[in-house]
Amino acid sequence: MRSIRTKPEAFAWAAALLAGGAIGCREQLATPIPAGHEPGASPRRGGTLHLAWLQDIRNLDPAGPSDGYALQAMHLLFAGLVDFDDQGRPVPELADHWDIADGGRTYRFTLRTGVRMHDGDELTADDVKRSAERALHPTTPDPNASYFKNIEGYDAFAAGRADHLTGIGVEGRYVLSFRLAEPDATFLPVLAMPTLRPVCKTAGDRYLDTWLPCGAGPFKLRPGDWQRGTRLRLVRHDEYFRPGRPYLDAVEWTCNMQVTAQRFRFEDGQLDILRDMTQADQLRFAADPRWKDLGSMETDRTVLGESMNTRMPPFDNIEVRRAVAAAIDRNHYKAIKPGYITVLTQLVPPGVPGFDPEVEGQRHDYRAALDHMRKAGYPYDPESGRGGWPETIVYPVYDQGLLVYTAQVLKQDLAKIGLRIELKLVSWPAFLALQQRPGGVAISQANWEMDYPDPSSLFDPLFTTESIGSESSFNTAFYTNARFDDLVARARREGNPDHRRALYREANDILCDEAPWAFAYAYHFYDVRQPYVRGFKPHAVWPMDVSAVWLDRAGGASNSPAGSGR
Amino acid sequence: MSRLARRLAHGALVVWAVVSIAFVINNLLPGDPARLVAGVQARPADVARIRQQLELDRPPIVQYAQFWRRLVHVGPRVIDPNRDPTHASCLVVLPLGPFAGHVDFGKSYQMRQPVAAVVADRLPRTFALTSAGVLLQVLFGLCTGVAAALRRGSRLDRALVSVSLLGVSAPTFLIALSLQYVLAYKLRWLPLDGFGQTLGEHVRCLVLPAITLGVYGAAYYTRLVRDEMIGLMRQDWVRTARAKGASPWRVVIHHALRNELTLLVTAVGLDFGALMGGAVVTETVFRWPGLGDLSVKATMHRDGPVLLACVVVTSVFIVASSLVVDLVGRRLDPRTRES
Repeated sequence: MRSIRTKPEAFAWAAALLAGGAIGCREQLATPIPAGHEPGASPRRGGTLHLAWLQDIRNLDPAGPSDGYALQAMHLLFAGLVDFDDQGRPVPELADHWDIADGGRTYRFTLRTGVRMHDGDELTADDVKRSAERALHPTTPDPNASYFKNIEGYDAFAAGRADHLTGIGVEGRYVLSFRLAEPDATFLPVLAMPTLRPVCKTAGDRYLDTWLPCGAGPFKLRPGDWQRGTRLRLVRHDEYFRPGRPYLDAVEWTCNMQVTAQRFRFEDGQLDILRDMTQADQLRFAADPRWKDLGSMETDRTVLGESMNTRMPPFDNIEVRRAVAAAIDRNHYKAIKPGYITVLTQLVPPGVPGFDPEVEGQRHDYRAALDHMRKAGYPYDPESGRGGWPETIVYPVYDQGLLVYTAQVLKQDLAKIGLRIELKLVSWPAFLALQQRPGGVAISQANWEMDYPDPSSLFDPLFTTESIGSESSFNTAFYTNARFDDLVARARREGNPDHRRALYREANDILCDEAPWAFAYAYHFYDVRQPYVRGFKPHAVWPMDVSAVWLDRAGGASNSPAGSGR
Repeated sequence: MSRLARRLAHGALVVWAVVSIAFVINNLLPGDPARLVAGVQARPADVARIRQQLELDRPPIVQYAQFWRRLVHVGPRVIDPNRDPTHASCLVVLPLGPFAGHVDFGKSYQMRQPVAAVVADRLPRTFALTSAGVLLQVLFGLCTGVAAALRRGSRLDRALVSVSLLGVSAPTFLIALSLQYVLAYKLRWLPLDGFGQTLGEHVRCLVLPAITLGVYGAAYYTRLVRDEMIGLMRQDWVRTARAKGASPWRVVIHHALRNELTLLVTAVGLDFGALMGGAVVTETVFRWPGLGDLSVKATMHRDGPVLLACVVVTSVFIVASSLVVDLVGRRLDPRTRES
């Protein structure tokens, strides 16, 4: 009787300890699942690539509001006239070639012939024009439409005063031209974004939420293969214009999968590439000799910095801004999440066109920071802790893992020069409202993800006078500099790459010196894949580009799924 | 009957009040829903166009009136969303000849789908999870609570009280992750997460989230039942029943437990209503596509139509649960009828 009474208690504690220990002590990674052939083997067709997303996707229509995850699928569904190569340079895709005429005002594209859309129709210049007009029509909820405002006739078309976009001319079955209001060196990278990618005739002339996405990309979507919140499956487009591609039969994403479940499934071979993971897991994969060669860093696409409102004290004083830029030890930021952070001392991050390795930029220099505070009229004595800016400065923080840590680093670094920061936790929408309104907040962390790999994607929206708004200002520093504005405007029009680079270098120097932002870090993702995933290469623009991937799993069969009783 | 009518009217008033408060709060919160739809990097002209398309440029009072006007109305029996945009976001619920009753929460800002259809899709899943979870909670809680009460002060009692304390204290996500790791990843008895494609898969996928809710709630019910049973077992009528020679099981089930049912039904009813609002953490960890996950995302993204629909559904279920509890309680306990 006594032993029976003892059992439940013992069992309960043992179960609790087992469960806690199982979660807490789980440090060993599973062994990678080997490939079937040696490196260098020829690509083979077949198989389904299994991937996961942390969230659901919103839309797969290139003309509709989308998100970063959906972009991965849209890139496979829709081919554009222009695409980016893996270094981020515009290259022809559906266009066979293009000519630039009229001093950079006219782009004439000649299409590849025989390109088949997912519905079997051949792609023609009319399809390109129809798709562009559908995307830019005033009834379409396209959040990127105004990127194309430089096309002639855009204003009248977007306002509903014209039935057609006069700046797009069809000059033959396979030839069409885009006429711009003024020369624009960013037109090709902007065109390579998904917005104007040709869609099938089933899309009609106007945007509809009920349309089944259909384009000319390497994979296509069949009815019923997108179950919102659950899964998305794309199958190979057999008439894809690149012979023999793609190699995979299908790509399948599972949505809303938490990071723990993603890792469990990845180690088990039920997911083939892992992208969403905890910092601890990233460090384990990067350090494990069995896995480290199977991981890769993506390009830094997001830049982050401490944005100082140049219209609010004390940051209306240029010396205070310089002091902040010199006081921040960016390596402290990197230490928070070393696998994902690149120290940033200038606006354009390494690996992105426009990055200048010869620019020293903003560097951590504590003595210089104290000197700038003295010049600003707020000398600070580190020994006694006296001096500095006499008031407390509010720094809004929203509940996002990394920001709440970097905010504390900033607080400590600025306290050393006499700037006392008070962290204020707010919701994400409230943070935006505070940051993007003049007089909303004196300092806050700003971030920007490049829309396309070109310096203009950062310089134009973040620091030009044109980007200052009364409600939702992208220029969160409310920074104005006529010389800077002129340099950036000229760079946008400049067709000569060397001249353009020189213009951006001068603009960059102005930003580093006048410090509307203290540049902090750039953020990238880390991917790790099973050895049997072949042909995967990080792309400078498209996250998780699997268009060239093929599967080489030993034995060909996948592991049995969880719950199969294995 | 008049009492039932009064309760129904009271319930409708509660739903109206809750939804109205939610509408006001949603409009008072900082942040522009159109901006969140377009993306933080969308240019002001594009955001303005989307705001107009979503009719967010109208005064809040007009939006409020429109919400109630279209919530329940009569429309055509068959809807072609492409030809009849007025009823494109409606859900047909009650065919009446050539017409039908429509429920319309509008279209989701973020998903661009009719909200009524989205909610109709997710409601049965949350109902299934809630039902299974509450059932497990009550079964476990009742058994362990009674066992602990009958052996009060014993090692079994102490063990069950300790475990229930652990269950009440442990965060839901820890219970969920532990179950996921042991039962799905290591032992492979059940799927890690998801919803499945077939009925069999749905059931298999339901087990772990239901156990998670069950473990968490069972701990609470164990303590509730135990404490109440200890008190009941000291009552005169229990002593009398024992003195008259009733068997121990009859004493427990017929005399003590029966008196505890009122309390239990009240607790279950309120729990059921609250869980229908969504077991947010459980649904998220197990990727169970229910209302909890939906309402949290709607709040984060300021997706007003979805948020209001979730509030309507949740408040209706809580009011209905409360009504059922009231009716059942009156059946079980004659004293409440007299009062």
